[in-house]
Amino acid sequence: MSLVLPLPAEQRFARLRTLRLPIALLLPLVLINLIAFVLPVARLVQISFLEGHGGVLTDTLTVANYLGFLTDSYYLGLIGNSLLLAAIVTVATLVAAYPIAMFLHTVSPRWRNVLFVITISPLLVSAVVRTYGWMILLGDQGLVNDALIGLGLIEKPVRLINNTLGVVVGLVEVLMPYMALSLIAGFGRLDPALEEAAASLGAGRIRRFLRVTLPLTAPGIALGSLLCFVLSISSFVTPKLLGGGRVFLLATEIYDQAVVQLEWPMAATTSVVVLVLFGCALILYTRLVRRFD
Amino acid sequence: MVALAQRADRELVIPAAQPEGHLRLEGVTKRFNEVLAVSGVDLELPRGKMLGLLGPSGCGKTTTLRMIAGLLPISDGRILVDGEDIAHLPPHRRDFGLVFQNYALFPHLTVAENVAFGLDMRRVAKAEARARVQAALELVHLPGFGDRKPRQMSGGQQQRVALARAVVVRPRVLLLDEPLSNLDAKLRDEMRTEIREIQQRLGITTVLVTHDQVEALTMCDLVGVMSHGRLEQLGTPEDIYERPASLFVADFVGRTNTLECTLVDQRHVRIGEAVYGCAATALPPGKVKAVIRPHRILLTPPRDRSLISNATNCAAGRVTRVVYVGDLLQYEIDIGGTRLAVEAPTRALSQPMAVGDKLLCEWSPDDMLVFPA
Repeated sequence: MSLVLPLPAEQRFARLRTLRLPIALLLPLVLINLIAFVLPVARLVQISFLEGHGGVLTDTLTVANYLGFLTDSYYLGLIGNSLLLAAIVTVATLVAAYPIAMFLHTVSPRWRNVLFVITISPLLVSAVVRTYGWMILLGDQGLVNDALIGLGLIEKPVRLINNTLGVVVGLVEVLMPYMALSLIAGFGRLDPALEEAAASLGAGRIRRFLRVTLPLTAPGIALGSLLCFVLSISSFVTPKLLGGGRVFLLATEIYDQAVVQLEWPMAATTSVVVLVLFGCALILYTRLVRRFD
Repeated sequence: MVALAQRADRELVIPAAQPEGHLRLEGVTKRFNEVLAVSGVDLELPRGKMLGLLGPSGCGKTTTLRMIAGLLPISDGRILVDGEDIAHLPPHRRDFGLVFQNYALFPHLTVAENVAFGLDMRRVAKAEARARVQAALELVHLPGFGDRKPRQMSGGQQQRVALARAVVVRPRVLLLDEPLSNLDAKLRDEMRTEIREIQQRLGITTVLVTHDQVEALTMCDLVGVMSHGRLEQLGTPEDIYERPASLFVADFVGRTNTLECTLVDQRHVRIGEAVYGCAATALPPGKVKAVIRPHRILLTPPRDRSLISNATNCAAGRVTRVVYVGDLLQYEIDIGGTRLAVEAPTRALSQPMAVGDKLLCEWSPDDMLVFPA
């Protein structure tokens, strides 16, 4: 049984007064989020239930968009493509960034800060610029093909862009700083004495890694994987430029429908499906992280 | 208790058939770039004995322990266990148990899994491993805690788990790195006795690193005092305390008065005008430092000097400070310009002396040790 005594008026005002500052500080952020995020998403969901073609929306409510999406093998194929690409990119990013994070964990703190800044410095250059860079490097007359021909390994240029390979290479490089950041945060919680303790108990290098380092850095792996997964599904510029119109994904499809074909309800439906995928990824992540604690 | 002891003996005592566990360091040296962190440490520790490495921070004691454990490569010298040089072996091949200052328990594993880790690595059969984990947890008075996570336990309990985890593999040598420094004073006293009992019951050759002289003196069979990377003295606790080999050891272990004086002959020193007897020394006459423990000085009421034996040093003085510590009183006595720290046990009904009181300080010449200035 709980007994709540009404507070004297004076105390009630005092409590309101102490809350006033936090509320005032939160207000701008809440407003921006409401106007720039919550309302547009609500509108997006609304449009996905409307009829309309060629840039014209009617007021008729319908679930035809969703039925059309979920029964069309083209759209289902897009989901499959996007999930597969995101999975490949996430794993490749993890494999590429994990050794970097591990190395940063072992160097002296002075060097760690310098190397840390270098690791995340690609974030200073926009993804568009970096993607153009990859187009130059991987193109038919690019550095990579020239080098391979120069070494006599191939005779004609190999197609490295305008296909899935090009998109994967570009996305891995673009997303690696996010993965590295998450992993470095994960390694921050790893006490070096734990690896020494494992060694003293008879664990060699490999078992130390599998039994101590890997499980303890798993929260960082989970966070980095979530970020890369979500960012690669929603990435648009890199697949568009490096895919050369030959790689079909959810994000590029949304662009085509909304901007090229002006099929706004279908674009909205596809967007909502992407949001649902993100929601699933987030739920999976929270489940995983709860298990680590 | 008897059943517990039997179980511990059966599961954890190092069988006599196992290698000796006799540890020997020969000229062990560590250089960090050009800095000499540990230089030429020689020592020998018989099987089943406990050695305390004692010294101020930065003296090289932890570096020495980490080299024994294999966590730091040695720059020079040899580390021998039962005559075999193990200095080139990686830590996981040395078969040593290690207890860290911050315990270093695996946070993602339960207490039982932590203790079982070393057995797992040695591929000990499941049933035997379970019995040994059980025995180890009983040994450290934590039976039934196996399913908890380390962070659900207090510092003292984590310390016990770390100890159980280290001894359950029946290590050839047990290494303890400042194991008690994160515990509060009362718990520290308890754990001192407990670790010593476990070490003796299991008969593990043990090296303890500590900056706490009480720990070193009370727990260990042998004490090595280190300073600036050198082993200043290696001996029994009594050797270290009663017969310090250097002014540093005398000063670092226990409280001392260090007095500037002139050596007159092999048994006498002069302080100002007064001449006192001292422990026999081979030093040549000249400037020296004399050392005497505060509690070896007896304070007596002023009386006729002729009543006091010539064999006893005696100086008239005046109390300049009194500090009540509880179990003892710390006095500062002025004897003709020289300040002496003196300690006397407190008694329920006796009146402590007050500042300004006149009295006599008496001490035996054998308690006054002389070192080069």
